[in-house]
Amino acid sequence: MGKLTTLVIKEVKELIRDPKILIGVILMPVIIFPVMGSAISVSQKSVMQAMITASFAVYSKDEGEAATALLNYIYINNTVILIERDSLEEAIVAFQDTNATTLLFIPEGYSQNVSQGLRGRLKIYANLKSMTIAETGTTDALGNVMGVYGYLLSLSKINNLLEAAGVVADPLTVRTPLSISYSTIIKGNVLEVAPSSIFSIIMTQSIMLPVMVMVMLMFAIQMAATSIAIEKEQKTLETLMTLPVGRMTILSGKLAGSIVVAIAGAIAYMIGFGYYMTSAFSFAPEMTSMSTGDVGIGLEPIGTILLGVNIFVTLVSGLALAISLATFADSVRSAQSLTGFLTVPVILPAIILMFSDLQMLPQTVQWLLLVIPYTHSIIASKAAFLGNYGIVFRSIGYISVFTIVVLYIAARIFSTERIITARFTSFSLKDLLKRH
Amino acid sequence: MNLMESAIEAKDLVKNFGNIVALNGASFQVRDREIFGLIGPNGAGKTTALRIISTLLKPTSGTVRVFDVDVVRTPEKVREHISYLPEEAGAYQNLSGYEYLRFMAGFYAREGNGVNEMVEEGERISGLGDRLEDRVKGYSKGMNRRLLLGRALMMRPKLAVLDEPTSGLDVLHAFHVRQTIKEFADRQGVTILLSSHNMLEVEYLCHRVALIDEGSVIAIGTPEALKDRFSSENLEQAFMEATRLG
Repeated sequence: MGKLTTLVIKEVKELIRDPKILIGVILMPVIIFPVMGSAISVSQKSVMQAMITASFAVYSKDEGEAATALLNYIYINNTVILIERDSLEEAIVAFQDTNATTLLFIPEGYSQNVSQGLRGRLKIYANLKSMTIAETGTTDALGNVMGVYGYLLSLSKINNLLEAAGVVADPLTVRTPLSISYSTIIKGNVLEVAPSSIFSIIMTQSIMLPVMVMVMLMFAIQMAATSIAIEKEQKTLETLMTLPVGRMTILSGKLAGSIVVAIAGAIAYMIGFGYYMTSAFSFAPEMTSMSTGDVGIGLEPIGTILLGVNIFVTLVSGLALAISLATFADSVRSAQSLTGFLTVPVILPAIILMFSDLQMLPQTVQWLLLVIPYTHSIIASKAAFLGNYGIVFRSIGYISVFTIVVLYIAARIFSTERIITARFTSFSLKDLLKRH
Repeated sequence: MNLMESAIEAKDLVKNFGNIVALNGASFQVRDREIFGLIGPNGAGKTTALRIISTLLKPTSGTVRVFDVDVVRTPEKVREHISYLPEEAGAYQNLSGYEYLRFMAGFYAREGNGVNEMVEEGERISGLGDRLEDRVKGYSKGMNRRLLLGRALMMRPKLAVLDEPTSGLDVLHAFHVRQTIKEFADRQGVTILLSSHNMLEVEYLCHRVALIDEGSVIAIGTPEALKDRFSSENLEQAFMEATRLG
């Protein structure tokens, strides 16, 4: 067994057996996301259930024909609590004692208005008892029922008018004379779907990819920093540095071990997140009805390879950066607080690019973001899906150069005595500059 | 004595950490197959000297040759022949004692059998028996030290550098460690350089000692010779006398 393999196996064992890492990086995502998903799903389903089974209260001051027809319509499909009081004020008080969240008030003169071709006025009172989303949903339910009734009423009125005028026409086309259909153009292909129905694909590209890159990077950075800091904390680093093994081999072993665990963490995260997405949005199947393949923006083999290379160089760059920083820490805690600074350049581009395109941003912000290597990996991930491989190559190039520079610095730090003597507590930038 | 008999040649070693002078022109020579002790109070520069010899630190000035190999110019060559046990060393907490020995043996053994032999030797030296199957996390300080001593000696290095091998240990563990070092050195013909502030331990273990104070070597010789020279009953008194005169 080679020295590098020996080191990698040890790194992986040490990291995986650390309960903090095992639970935080691998078990938590697998457990916490499905639990979150089910929780959202359960609450969403209860909202839907509440909307379906909602009961309405009705108080009518009109006893005309149109009001009776309206009441009959509501009675057919819903549970209705009829409130009989002398005044509206009393009815409102009585309504609050019922379990209905909405009250439909039919004022006097409704039927007369409707029969004379005027607007029939109705009023809905909503009683928000618990101020929850479910409650506002049931409030909408009565409005929707009235909307449908109004539509049917208009059709019947149009029909009557057409007959009276002796015109032969479909009341439906008179009611909605225009028919609009949507097409979407992606990568030059015209697709017979509305842009809103490829929402899930846009979600994948704009949110899932940056989140995935960001999460993997954060894992990797944490792993690498911890693996160096553990050596210092457990006082094993000095021994390791006197072994007959090259410093670059030690560094590579740490990088490789951290990558293995980070990838395991990323897979656990993706499984958990995937489960979360499917369970949390299971009540809305239309959101996930189309795949990237259906609309022709799936990854070609070359795109997959480039995307893989891009993510790999991104990972290595993050690791190298973390290792360089962690050499200045003397405990796991100080390493984590030091690498905490790295979350800013990692999260910033991910969040900004989640909601906007680089070109939409002000010029200075664009330049600022382009200096950060992780901006490139997010842009490249999107570009790979759209087949813009030039951008992916540019990203791989930039991140590789950045990584080589950082790795060179890490190797330099590793081959000097700074790795033994450097302490976060006694670290000052002035000293560092002076020594160079 | 010719050069070939010399395991370590340290000449005019100076090491500064910023304004702090850790070593101030220390020179000494360790012969092949002897147990050599560096003794002195805390902060005398013992650990710094051992770290330079073990290739962890570079001297500000001066030279060290280990088996005629320069530690600054070709540290990787020196590392092949030495084994260093730092004072405050630990083992990987999430590995078992066996896994730790096996991991370390992987860097020295040429083929598979070599690893097994080394691990067996490490097991013998540590004397931990079945406890080697447990994770290091649960080890006491004494067990930890014995595991690390097993690690340091199992590959039969030409030179073992042991920094305060018994510091902080109870009588039983300290006794085991001292016995092991003495027996192992006799049996395997290994050169041992150790540091200690326990003068009695050094008197028992070492063929020769260097008294070190404020970064300089103030006297070198066998324990007997040093006691004679400073007309003292033991090394402790000899050290006090030497610092007073120096």
